[in-house]
Amino acid sequence: MDKQLELLQGTLEMLILKAVSLSPLHGYGVLLRIQQISKDRLEIQQGSLYPALYRLEHQGWITGEWGESENNRRARYYRLTAAGKRRLQSETKRWNEMTAVIAGILQATPEEL
Amino acid sequence: MRTWARVRSWTGALLGRRRVEREMDEEMRFHMEACAADLMSQGVPAQEAKRQARLEFGGMETAKHECRDAVGVNVLETFMQDVQHGMRALLRTPVFTITTVVVLALGIGANTAIFSVVDAVLLKPLAYRDSGRLVTILMNGEDPVSAANYIDWRDQNHSFTAMGAAEYWSPNLTGDDAPSEHIEGLKVTQNVFPMLGIEPMLGRLFLGGEDNEGADREVILSYRLWQRRFSSDPNVLGKPILMDGTAYVVVGVMPQGFQFTPFWATHAEVWAPNAFGERIHDRGGNSLRIFARLKDGVSLTQARTEIAAITGQLEQQYPATNRNVVVTPLKEKVVGGMETPLLVLLGAVAFVLLITCANVAHMLLARAATLRKEVAVRAALGARRGRLIRQFLTESLLLGGLGGALGLLLAIVGTKALIAMSPGNIPRVQTVSIDAHAALFLLVATILTSVGFGLVPALQASSVNLNDTLKEGARGSVEGFRRSRLRSLLVVSELALALMLLIGAGLMIRTFAALQAVDAGFNPHNVISMMVSVAGSMEADSGRRTVFYHQLIERVRSIPGVEAAGAINHLPLAGDSWGWPFVVEGRPKPRPGETPTAIYRMVTPGYFQTMRLPLIRGRDVTEADTATAPGVVLINERTANEYWPGEDPIGKRISFDDDKANPPTWLTIIGITKNAKQEDWVAAPFPEAYLAAFQNKEFLSSPKSYMAYITLVARTAGDPASVATAMKEAAWSFDRNLTISQVVTMEGVVAEATAQPRFEMLLLSIFAGVALVLASVGIYGVISYSASRRTHEIGVRMSLGATRGQVLLLVARQGIYLALAGSTAGIAGSLMLSRVMTKLLYGVQPTDPVTFVAVAAGLGVVAMLACYLPARRAMGIDPVAALRCE
Repeated sequence: MDKQLELLQGTLEMLILKAVSLSPLHGYGVLLRIQQISKDRLEIQQGSLYPALYRLEHQGWITGEWGESENNRRARYYRLTAAGKRRLQSETKRWNEMTAVIAGILQATPEEL
Repeated sequence: MRTWARVRSWTGALLGRRRVEREMDEEMRFHMEACAADLMSQGVPAQEAKRQARLEFGGMETAKHECRDAVGVNVLETFMQDVQHGMRALLRTPVFTITTVVVLALGIGANTAIFSVVDAVLLKPLAYRDSGRLVTILMNGEDPVSAANYIDWRDQNHSFTAMGAAEYWSPNLTGDDAPSEHIEGLKVTQNVFPMLGIEPMLGRLFLGGEDNEGADREVILSYRLWQRRFSSDPNVLGKPILMDGTAYVVVGVMPQGFQFTPFWATHAEVWAPNAFGERIHDRGGNSLRIFARLKDGVSLTQARTEIAAITGQLEQQYPATNRNVVVTPLKEKVVGGMETPLLVLLGAVAFVLLITCANVAHMLLARAATLRKEVAVRAALGARRGRLIRQFLTESLLLGGLGGALGLLLAIVGTKALIAMSPGNIPRVQTVSIDAHAALFLLVATILTSVGFGLVPALQASSVNLNDTLKEGARGSVEGFRRSRLRSLLVVSELALALMLLIGAGLMIRTFAALQAVDAGFNPHNVISMMVSVAGSMEADSGRRTVFYHQLIERVRSIPGVEAAGAINHLPLAGDSWGWPFVVEGRPKPRPGETPTAIYRMVTPGYFQTMRLPLIRGRDVTEADTATAPGVVLINERTANEYWPGEDPIGKRISFDDDKANPPTWLTIIGITKNAKQEDWVAAPFPEAYLAAFQNKEFLSSPKSYMAYITLVARTAGDPASVATAMKEAAWSFDRNLTISQVVTMEGVVAEATAQPRFEMLLLSIFAGVALVLASVGIYGVISYSASRRTHEIGVRMSLGATRGQVLLLVARQGIYLALAGSTAGIAGSLMLSRVMTKLLYGVQPTDPVTFVAVAAGLGVVAMLACYLPARRAMGIDPVAALRCE
């Protein structure tokens, strides 16, 4: 297994939004979904997941509801709200622009200047 | 939408804190269990899986705390912590806490009490529908007008939706069972009550046409009269009621608390229709007070302009009438006179609160100094400054809250006391109570006060230099310059405010002394008076009245303890006062508006002697001045000087008959009396004439209730109140239906006349006294604190040979500077502010140097005393002990 990457500051919330946008998930499910998609490349502090979830819910981007888990346990499922969907879009756009710009800078060669 | 989500999540979290905690716990536990289960399915043993899951999750408590932060629950959490911490801190210093809470309660309570008076008297609208549109229309803004003029204004104006008139009426209420009563009432035009927008509690208002002559025998009762005379009988409508011997029918009862008019005849308990009859042509008999409601969209200015135009035209038509007719908003008419005194009191009591704040602030500063160590330790352990400030402010709010709660109790008691001791002339004072307005005021005052006294100490206390404070150790160093300057500033402002209050109180005391020194003209000591009305009794018969009055006075004279007795129609200061025009024999008819006028009184022999109102020249009325003898009159000095300057008026003849009487009844001036007080305690006396009562036909035979009474006066050897019962019995021994009212001592009447300045003086003195105590405690605190901080320094100085005197000066010098600075600022402030009191003062200038100097000196002495105590303690310091205590 490659060395895990530390999460960039402030990106966890964006990832959570993306994760729950695919299907409603409980907290542990969010973790698994991110790890699954990232193929375990990201290191996520499990404890920090919940403050982020609560913050997102407090902002009204996701909403949590108690439901039943795969093994019949009570679990809190989060899903994206309409506001959350817009937020995810704008965040994604911003991120893509940002990475493009930064990548551009990093790829710059003396000839281009 | 998102705001809503946030509010919902926050309130949900706050309200269902326990549920949130439980769910948070359950959610995280599920996470760990699911994680452990996954691990187990990969073959990890159960025990190890659980351990690993917990490890991977990290600190659950930290996570929970951050979750709470995320939804804002922690605000409440830390607040509760702060409250608990604050409570503990306050309980640790009970003396400080109790002192502060009591001081704050006094300040907040007194302010709330005064505010509730200001609110009820000045701020609240009058209790009529849309009362802001109601106005009064009066001559010179206060005097009544005649029926013919009123009718012209009513018919010619376009500014008012309605215009009505009210006339004073004081009938005797006689009945079969209850003793007869003299009550106040009004005769009103039919449109007055609909104009006010008031519905009766029972029955109806007057109908159109009921103010026509002959149809005017209905009455509407006040709630109180209905209770008193009819035992709250719900079937009172249609019942007869006998007033001045005439039967009226009760058609309505007004709701409880209804008052009309609000500024004059305020105790009116019965209202009847006013039938003008012949008076519709009368432009001379001024007895109506006019009320009107402005039309929507018509401004006061427009209405004033129109009334000025109408009256201007009428004045040309009927010279000497319709002069200076003033339209005044009804509320201004009611409370206008109270504005200055109440606002001065409110300002004064606000000063007391400011002083309280300053005082508590520097108590907190001193306390904060002792807490520096603790604060430094907490800061070192990572407490942020905002957190510290918040905690100190919470403590202040706790103190303020406790003070406010106790202040609420004080305010409730205080308003009751205020109402009880307030002079009778404050309108609406009976409606004063601690209501929602006052409670809101108390809340705001409490919060502002708490922040006011808490913010600066909180800022100071939280800004500790860790290194210095922790390094200083136990050594008592001289306190920082900035801190001591701040405390000095607080004390200086306290002293300045206290001085301003003391000057205000001093000016009122001087005013009151000047009022006490006013010469009434007569001697009020040991005189009692009593009004006896014959209206509604057998004695009202014109044939019987003369005899009855004579016998009544004789019987009063025979009461043991009575030295002299006589009677007058209207008692000075307490009774009515009628200004009547007169003509002087042999003088040309005066130009309109320049007719000689005098206050018209009728006296019996013995009146002047009883009142000890000296005759300057001439003779008194005697028993020989009967109805058949030539008419006589006495005048006061002012009349003599005004109308016979450089002449001897004695022997000249005047007449009070109007032009129509021909030939006039001439009255010969037989004497000149000293000027006596008339209506107002401080006003210069008007011209006044005393006619012989037993020569006056109207006085002896008029059926009109306003003519059918006599006011007895009796001078006693001892306490005048002790003969009151005997006097009443003397009257009732003639006839049980005689109506007796206004049994008062002349001293009581005089006290009533100066009741308002006395009230203002009393309150201002109380406030100033409290301010003085607080300010001296303040300066005492600062000096003794700085002296205690300088124990070491004093020890060194004394061991180096400083004398006790030098030590005294060292300690007291700061106090002297503070007192000087405070006095200077206070005097400057007073010079600017005392002018607002001008209206309250009498016989003293607002910048009265005597008061200023005396008060400043007095404050100086108190301040010196407050400094002397700690200074004396410093002188007693044992240098060895002081140095060793290092």
